[in-house]
Amino acid sequence: MARAVTASSAKVRPFVARVRRIDPSDSTYGGDRRERPFMSSAMLAILMVIASEMMLFSGLIGSFLIFRLQSAFWPPPALPRLPIAVTWANTFVLLSSAVTISMAVRAVHQSRQRLLRRYLLATLALGVTFLAVQGSEWVRLVAHGLKLSSGSYGGTFYILIGCHGAHVTAGVIWLACVVVAAMRGRYNARNAAGIELCAVYWYFVCAIWPLLFVLVYLM
Amino acid sequence: MLEYLYFPHDISTFGPQVDWLFEVIFWIVMIVWIAVMIAMVVFMIRYRTRPGRKAEYIEGNTRLEIIWTTVTAVILVVLAFMSRATWADIKEHGPPGQVFYAVNAKQFNWEITYPGPDGKLGTKDDLTVENEMHVPIGKVVRIDLTSKDVIHSFFVPNLRLKQDAVPGRVIKVWFEATETGQYEIPCAELCGFGHSGMKGNLTVQSQADFDKWLADQYAQNKQ
Amino acid sequence: MSSTAAVAAHGVHAEHHQLSFLRTYVFSEDHKMIARQFLFMGLFMMSIGGLMAMLMRWELAFPETAVPGFHWVPEPFMYDGAIPPNTYNAMFTMHATIMIFFVVMPILVGCFGNFLIPLMIGARDMAFPKLNMLSFWVGAVAGVIMISSFFVPGGAAAAGWTSYAPLSAVPIYTGVEWGQDLWCISIIILGASSLMGSINYITTIINMRTKGMYFFRLPLVIWSLFITAILLLLALPVLTTALALLLFDRMGGTHFFLPAGGGEPLLWQHLFWFFGHPEVYIMILPGMGIASDVIATFSRKPIFGYRAMAYAMISIAGLSWIVWGHHMFQSGMDPALGSSFMITTMVIGVPSAIKTFNWLGTLYKGNIHYTTAMFNALAFVAMFVIGGLSGIWMACTPVDMYIHDTYFIVAHIHYVLFGGSLFGVFAGLTYWYPKMFGRMMNETLGKIHFWITFVAFNCTFFPMHILGMAGHMRRIYNPQQYDFLKPIIGINEFISISAFVLGAAQFLFLANLIWSYFKGAKATENPWNANTLEWTTPSPPPHGNWPGTVPIVYRGPYEYSSPEVAEDFLPQSQLIEHSTAAAD
Ligand code: HEA
Ligand code: HEA
Ligand code: CUA
Ligand SMILES: [Cu+2]
Repeated sequence: MARAVTASSAKVRPFVARVRRIDPSDSTYGGDRRERPFMSSAMLAILMVIASEMMLFSGLIGSFLIFRLQSAFWPPPALPRLPIAVTWANTFVLLSSAVTISMAVRAVHQSRQRLLRRYLLATLALGVTFLAVQGSEWVRLVAHGLKLSSGSYGGTFYILIGCHGAHVTAGVIWLACVVVAAMRGRYNARNAAGIELCAVYWYFVCAIWPLLFVLVYLM
Repeated sequence: MLEYLYFPHDISTFGPQVDWLFEVIFWIVMIVWIAVMIAMVVFMIRYRTRPGRKAEYIEGNTRLEIIWTTVTAVILVVLAFMSRATWADIKEHGPPGQVFYAVNAKQFNWEITYPGPDGKLGTKDDLTVENEMHVPIGKVVRIDLTSKDVIHSFFVPNLRLKQDAVPGRVIKVWFEATETGQYEIPCAELCGFGHSGMKGNLTVQSQADFDKWLADQYAQNKQ
Repeated sequence: MSSTAAVAAHGVHAEHHQLSFLRTYVFSEDHKMIARQFLFMGLFMMSIGGLMAMLMRWELAFPETAVPGFHWVPEPFMYDGAIPPNTYNAMFTMHATIMIFFVVMPILVGCFGNFLIPLMIGARDMAFPKLNMLSFWVGAVAGVIMISSFFVPGGAAAAGWTSYAPLSAVPIYTGVEWGQDLWCISIIILGASSLMGSINYITTIINMRTKGMYFFRLPLVIWSLFITAILLLLALPVLTTALALLLFDRMGGTHFFLPAGGGEPLLWQHLFWFFGHPEVYIMILPGMGIASDVIATFSRKPIFGYRAMAYAMISIAGLSWIVWGHHMFQSGMDPALGSSFMITTMVIGVPSAIKTFNWLGTLYKGNIHYTTAMFNALAFVAMFVIGGLSGIWMACTPVDMYIHDTYFIVAHIHYVLFGGSLFGVFAGLTYWYPKMFGRMMNETLGKIHFWITFVAFNCTFFPMHILGMAGHMRRIYNPQQYDFLKPIIGINEFISISAFVLGAAQFLFLANLIWSYFKGAKATENPWNANTLEWTTPSPPPHGNWPGTVPIVYRGPYEYSSPEVAEDFLPQSQLIEHSTAAAD
């Protein structure tokens, strides 16, 4: 029978247990693995958040479609039409913010601080504009009598668009934090994760919007 | 007591098909279950630990995997297709109706509406009674089933019939009773604190008795 | 090895004193402590859910008579001990909600997931320890809210754990005001908690496996938890959607589920079951994983068809998304659609078949050791098969037309959830208890608990099939109101008495847990001679899991009775000269 020896006695490498909290960058962490993971844990996590958000939206969109396809008149005669023109413009605003943030990512990889800040600020501004316009439109719609309680038309509109609005708000808050950190010069080519994560989330927020726009406003 | 350990007495035309499917599955499942249990118990006894014995090093067997996967798959899919026809008869199409009612469920009663003398539903000579459903034997009864408030479920154990009554939509149900007698119509879907005890009576009668009863009812609600 | 372990153990001790009590036991970021917290939460909730069950059983056997010892409950919840209909509805609603969301999920996913994943893949902790702690405390908040709903005016939710709209959407229909709202809120919060949990599990398993721990060297329990986490990640948001819409209907004046305002009652059912069916596999997959590990260990034999087992679980997870309609056969959904759901539902039996037969194959020519854990694992297989097979009747649409919403369904539920999930929990706890608490559980007490539970369980739930065939509806608080059910009241009494025995038997388990914690025999590093990594570190493992370096993996987890070595086990981390190649 083959002689068996345990791995640890094979090459003795005592682990100092006096670490208060293990940090993932610890080389002995997760086993003395040499090969690097194909993707950082943080990025994986944010992608999973997005995956579950997508399920959330598909639930809402599914419900919306059911009502939309069942009803003969959409929107119901009594209720106000949705502001198409303004929202076209607003869509453009949001999509351009996706471009600016991708520029920001490019900039940080080249460690060009001023460029980075400029693009981040631009993105933040665009995001805020989007929210402001949406908000003002909502106020007008409510004034014209489109309420949460006015049928499945009002209900689905506010829930679906509101849910997206909430995600944009979250994204804007995150962006604001990133901007502050960028002003302090936190990020550079070697330390760009903070920007990348925020960007991925922002891409999601922008990518889901056109779909909602088509379904809720144009269809 | 023993006769209650099985389905209640069947009085509908499609009941036998339902019971037959139940029995088919019963035997498939019994065979599978007994086979699994025998194998398990035999292995448990035969291969219990004994001093100085070492288990045999077997990692698996692809042939077996394929066999039992395909066999199970075939049995189950065949079963599904066998059931389709019966299901379609009962819930999709079915024979043209001869007697027509509207049943409207509400917390916690069944409102049964009989078409008036004109034989049409939705006219003002309609007659509505609570919980009392009389049907002639051997006639295809078609029901427009709906609900006023929450979801209820129209369940007649002896007919093997169950259909939820959903507010906002009218669902077509049919059955044909083959035996006269008194049967219960419990509500099978939770519908509030009165769910337990929400029940109607189904009376299957000869055509003559049925006509007589119906006539009396109309007479009564005249005055 | 052991010497370095001892040394390091000292170091660990020293540093444990450094951590404050709060950081060690309450707001701990150590996955092992969080696992224990989930376990205690689950067991505590189990006593409440079980109590509900006991009250229901009393009501069903002796309808409208006073429950002994419950005279103190104020009206209108009970009338001098007698249970009114609405209270009964609240009871089975909360019974199911608690058992599913606060017993089975916290213990199977929360406790075993947290405890086993890092230890079995060779990581020092979860990828996000802080998130992990948050996950527990958010879950705890959800639990508190759920329990508090018993005490609000109007009482707890009473629309069934499925909360079908419109019944759940309009307070006057049930007479429950706050209870239902709190129910929704609590479960939305719980959703957030399990979202954090599942993100942590998936990330950890993908990114933090030790060297040589390839995916197809993962123990099946880790596979099952990995797949479960993915199901959780994708299923719960849909439930959140449904609950949000329901809350808006209740509070925001919308009419999503109310036909009066152009709503669609069936929408709720579609959303709920689209979540609901994956949910039931969330509750069985970890059990399957535990059973696989325990059975392989105590048969001293490799699991039969390791890859087949993994693929079977993957396909169960995949198929679980396209069968939800089998809960809606009689709901007024298009019957043609019902037929297609019948076919998919039948097909989902196949992967379960693969698993069953592979468990049998594992026993074959084994060298079976009958520990308590093994008994519970075998019971899991037997009971799951019964529960699964009864699912075939329900999958058959015409038969389901008769047995839908009868006790046949209730029997199915409990065979898969108690017979499956809970026996899995018993097996897992008795198997990993030494690693969790550093002491062995008492075998004699364990076996007594097992046999009483096993017998009482079958006496309780098997007759429910017969009730179902007799037409006995679910969710009725007094069968005596129906003439066609009067003759079978005897069966109900028999069931209830067995149920009381079953409930009492759980105290034995509780007693064993507590007794063994103080008096149990000290556990060695590897009491079961098992192969997986958690057995290569002291019991309980120190902070950081391995005093020395993290072990490196050279082979799969089930190399029992391998011809390569004399002993009948061969740990994953054990190096043998001529098989070093396996390392890289
Ligand atoms: C752990 C939880 C769990 C699991 C694993 C399952 C597994 C299955 N369930 Fe179950 N189910 C529930 C929990 C679960 N269920 C609950 C809680 C409800 C009630 C919800 C409510 O209304 O409150 C429910 C309700 C429910 C219904 C709705 C009934 C109704 O309301 O009318 C149906 C219908 O098809 C169904 C089917 C199935 C099937 C086909 C499986 C299959 O996965 C089973 C597959 C397993 C086997 C088949 C056994 C092993 C296989 C073999 C030994 C091979 C040989 C077999 C053959 C050849 C047949 N279940
Ligand atoms: C995991 C899920 C689970 C578990 C474990 C159980 C366990 C039990 N259930 Fe439950 N049940 C459901 C899930 C579960 N149930 C679901 C989903 C429904 C459907 C609800 C609905 O229709 O909406 C249901 C419905 C249901 C009904 C039908 C109600 C109705 O339709 O009218 C009945 C009736 O007998 C019942 C009985 C029991 C009994 C006797 C037990 C027994 O096994 C309980 C035994 C007792 C315990 C296990 C705990 C006892 C322990 C102590 C008291 C102290 C020990 C403490 C510690 C260990 C800390 N259950
Ligand atoms: Cu009507 Cu239950
Ligand atoms: Cu299901």
